[in-house]
Amino acid sequence: MTGRLTRQDDTHMCDSKELLVGFLYGELDPSEKRTFEVHLGTCAECRDELAALRMTRGQIALWTPPVPDLDFHVARRAAAPPPAPRFRIAPAWGLAAAAVLVMALATAIANVEVRYGHDGLVVRTGWQRAADPTASAPRGGEPNATPVDWKAQADHLDRRLRDLERAMSRNAGSVVPAAAASGLSDAQVLQRVREMLSQSETRQQRAVAARVAEITRDFDAQRRVDLAAIDQGMARLQNTSGAEVKQYRDLIQRMYRATSYQQK
Amino acid sequence: MPSTDEELVARSRGGDLDSFNQLVLRWERPIYALAYRVIGREEDARDVAQETFLRAFRALKGFKGQAKFSSWLYRIALNLCRDWMRRERRTPVAQAPEGIDIIELAGETNPSESIEDLVSRHELGRAVAKAMSHLPEEQRTAIILKEYHGLTFREIADLLDCPLSTVKTRLYQGLTVLRRQLREAGVESTFGK
Repeated sequence: MTGRLTRQDDTHMCDSKELLVGFLYGELDPSEKRTFEVHLGTCAECRDELAALRMTRGQIALWTPPVPDLDFHVARRAAAPPPAPRFRIAPAWGLAAAAVLVMALATAIANVEVRYGHDGLVVRTGWQRAADPTASAPRGGEPNATPVDWKAQADHLDRRLRDLERAMSRNAGSVVPAAAASGLSDAQVLQRVREMLSQSETRQQRAVAARVAEITRDFDAQRRVDLAAIDQGMARLQNTSGAEVKQYRDLIQRMYRATSYQQK
Repeated sequence: MPSTDEELVARSRGGDLDSFNQLVLRWERPIYALAYRVIGREEDARDVAQETFLRAFRALKGFKGQAKFSSWLYRIALNLCRDWMRRERRTPVAQAPEGIDIIELAGETNPSESIEDLVSRHELGRAVAKAMSHLPEEQRTAIILKEYHGLTFREIADLLDCPLSTVKTRLYQGLTVLRRQLREAGVESTFGK
């Protein structure tokens, strides 16, 4: 391009808003820029339009957005912990833990006491001994035991009935006894009460015996599970520490024997 | 010497979260400003900006450097702005406070600027925001990218997936409409002239 423009060129320049915008933003290549500058020198209309657009640019530059406190940042989410194995015995310390478990089990079983004599039925375990002593009222000079002394209770109730009977006989004539109203003699009422107490005692004894049997079964099942787990752990250790495994196996077997002996 | 965007992107793609957060720090204000000017609401613009960086982070593995990182961010942000406008079925809002807090303005000014000039500048800014909100979306976006973010015609064309000539036409038409609206609003001259 030369510095001189024909009338056709001038018309094209005026019509081409792309050139105007390119010049406005300084994005014409050097030759286009020179040509458009020549055109501007001769075209007042384009000069005015260019000035107006520059002013508009100056005005819109004044629109500023608010300045918020953004402080975005991307944080890595903490990795979820791996699912805990359902049951896993680690070498050495795992076996030791299992041994402690078996020992605790054996101790608990060894402390079970089931007695039925003239005092009535008494059930006591190591765990019950550790329990809140206020949970059951102590009897018979055994502050931490939980005896079920049915005979003593029956005697106590018998004495209480006799006291009531005496009190009623003293007030005879003024109060009509309920037994008389129902057509039964006092002796018959007492007999009936004793029978009911006896039946209740029998039912309670059966229930306690069933519960003891259930606990014993549970202990036995748990012991089998634990021993199986210990065996599994030992099998894993066979290739790593034979002597250590033998030592733990002996220990477990001794405890097992001790447990069986105490159960008998 | 601060790392370039390309260096930070490369490290981020390798799993360096700090590098990505440096990119966030560098670009959060421009992206927020873009979103604010396109959709006109502060809180929504903040949400768009935040979502832009989350999406960029998730898609970083797929960013091969075929464009500038900033252009890639702008594209994500503009897509989110379009989604927002489609979802809200609304045109941008020229959000401006009712009154002018002189004390707040005074904190923004430079020492040589009088308080009268400061107030005039803010009023003019509000008038521009209102005029911009009336522009068609294509023209408004082209003007925002050119005037406030300094993108070249070519970058805008690539970003908006349109020919170079279309970008220039949108700019010309948009500026012409703004000029007329500002004149009608009584804003005759550039501030400070």
